[in-house]
Amino acid sequence: MKNFIFLFLAIGLFTGLQGCKDKTEPSGGVDLKATFMATYNGTQLEKNKDYTFGTFPLLFLRYRMYLSDITLIKEDDTEVKISDVEYLDFTPDSSPSDLSVTPEITYKNVPEGNYKGIRMGIGVNAANNAKKPSDFPADSPLSIETDYWPGWASYIFMIIDGKADPDNDGTKNLSFSYHCGSDMVYQEFTINQAINVTSSGANLNIEFDLLKLLTQEDGSLYDMANYPVTSNDVNNFKVALEVISGVERAITIDQ
Amino acid sequence: MSVLVKFGNRITLPLVTLGLMTFLGACKMDMPPGGSDPGDLENISYDPHPYTIIKPDHFPPVPIPPDNPMTMEGVQLGRMLFYDPILSADSSMSCSSCHLPQGSFTDNLAVSIGIDGIAGRRSSMSLLNVAYATNGLFWDGRSPNLEDQAMRPVEDPIELHNIWPNVIVKLKVHDTYPEMFRKAFGIPDRDSISKELAVKAIAQFERILISSGTSKFDQYQQGDLDVFDDEELDGKLMFFDEGEPLNLPDAQCFHCHGGLTLTGNQYFNNGLDSVGNLSEFPDKGRFDFTGNPNDQGKFRAPTLRNIAISAPYMHDGRFATLHDAVAQYADNGFGVINEDIFIGQMGFPIGNGQYTGLNNYQIGAIVKFLHTLTDTTFVNNPDIQNPFK
Ligand code: HEC
Ligand code: HEC
Repeated sequence: MKNFIFLFLAIGLFTGLQGCKDKTEPSGGVDLKATFMATYNGTQLEKNKDYTFGTFPLLFLRYRMYLSDITLIKEDDTEVKISDVEYLDFTPDSSPSDLSVTPEITYKNVPEGNYKGIRMGIGVNAANNAKKPSDFPADSPLSIETDYWPGWASYIFMIIDGKADPDNDGTKNLSFSYHCGSDMVYQEFTINQAINVTSSGANLNIEFDLLKLLTQEDGSLYDMANYPVTSNDVNNFKVALEVISGVERAITIDQ
Repeated sequence: MSVLVKFGNRITLPLVTLGLMTFLGACKMDMPPGGSDPGDLENISYDPHPYTIIKPDHFPPVPIPPDNPMTMEGVQLGRMLFYDPILSADSSMSCSSCHLPQGSFTDNLAVSIGIDGIAGRRSSMSLLNVAYATNGLFWDGRSPNLEDQAMRPVEDPIELHNIWPNVIVKLKVHDTYPEMFRKAFGIPDRDSISKELAVKAIAQFERILISSGTSKFDQYQQGDLDVFDDEELDGKLMFFDEGEPLNLPDAQCFHCHGGLTLTGNQYFNNGLDSVGNLSEFPDKGRFDFTGNPNDQGKFRAPTLRNIAISAPYMHDGRFATLHDAVAQYADNGFGVINEDIFIGQMGFPIGNGQYTGLNNYQIGAIVKFLHTLTDTTFVNNPDIQNPFK
């Protein structure tokens, strides 16, 4: 008799679990692999390497940024959000090499179909930015303390640091550091780009070119010599806004 | 001369232990169970209790590797091993000889000295919050994690100068360790005691070395704004680049010593030496590990918590006082090619990428702020003291 009860219980439990599993299991979909790369004038970015910026040489030490709410847009305008937040550190200090790294992220269970574009935010969206690193588990990109600045009560959305020699005297004694953060500089934009996700998935290459990023809308280069650093002052986000808005022009996506 | 004598000791010690083993082996037949028979520990119960790390609420969760879960028994064993000179060749030194609680787990020497009296080239590092250091250990980051790190001092010729097989032999014949290894890791017999398990236990102990969250700085962070006097507050504002509204300059410190542990655990040239060529750094630091020429003279930015009690300062202990350490930053470095950009940006901007540097008041205020990071509750925590005393 005892055995019977046990059997019933076991069957009940098993069916119960099966029932739950059906409900939570995502409905298929395929893998979308995104490879991110930082470039300068079309070639893969290297730290500590001399590049030409208009009339003078410069080098980069750090380039990293957060992306938020990455969303694919279908031809009928319905949307598929594939990511809440990503942290792209192209120049991690754990890497022994100066060549920038190319983070690869695979998004699971992406519905097949023809998409016409992709939307993303540069930075951390307002909901997440209202929190702080200790609110997130250690494996979350939002737990990274070094990229949070208490002075703004904000994540630092994007960091571009380096040295330049605007007067061409042979020493790069101008340090530039563009640290952009706080809700006021959050950028969101859509890139029109056909993305076909087939039954075998899809591969996307997403490139951020620093020369394009530092080139203004009218085609002129950013005035780095006169505006080498972003201000900490919440009432003075001019430089931060100008620099971070260049990301939209810096992106190329291909499949 | 004394080196020779020591050398002799080290040769004889393994022989003596070996002799002891043979002696014990010979007696085995007459001995009740408890020798080194297979399964000789199985009658001791193995029932490990999960250890909950005590940390301040405002601290992030402590990263624990899945293959070394924290247990009460593991931490207790690790604490014994950390403080026991049994790990050194001549039983004269333990980990704690160079990592003492009262110095925030440093030895307060410029460079550490091993069992043979030979001075190393680097200063001992604070182990406070070392569990959060997940970007490489040591000044140059050559060790990936605490388990790997703990392997190294035992065989380092200028530290404990022993060999692991010798340590394991001593642990196997010890009165209490076999039972402790059984209780922590469930091993069936003494022969299963290994260096891998020993370092796991030590690492578990090191992961409980977490701030108490009661320093003046933590009280301020938690909203008790009155704990800081004006100078400490000025220091804090400059440290975190928050002084603009009060017309205080940026000292840029938080870029490298930021977050709750007051370090991002990253590697920089923080402008200590004026070299013409990067290959001239006396200690090449991070380069020794990465082989990247641009990493010459880079070191990991250490935590500044408890910095007031862990003098002297820098990887080679070159500064005796906190004032000297901070004053080093005041003049914006030497312009060495791989100096970090923030080293050149201390003070107010004066155009053309130049900065004023920090004046004496500002240096003093930052030093006063650094004193607010002292955590005596941590240092006096009974759970982390020498269990043999
Ligand atoms: C002779 C003195 C000495 C002894 C004994 C010693 N250490 Fe150290 N410890 C040092 C020094 C010096 C450094 C920094 C060395 C370097 O960077 O090359 C260090 C670094 C460390 C670090 C790295 C901390 C960090 O933040 O990267 C850990 C962890 C550590 N020791 C743990 C131990 C353990 C565990 C033992 C015993 C098994 C031990 N030490 C024995 C002197 C010592
Ligand atoms: C660019 C990064 C960077 C900046 C900015 C920086 N530091 Fe450091 N700091 C380091 C590094 C790297 C070390 C270790 C250097 C070494 O030992 O060779 C260090 C070491 C120290 C030490 C000695 C720590 C010890 O345990 O020996 C103190 C104290 C210190 N810094 C305070 C400050 C203060 C105060 C500021 C702001 C005025 C500051 N630092 C700004 C990177 C930085």
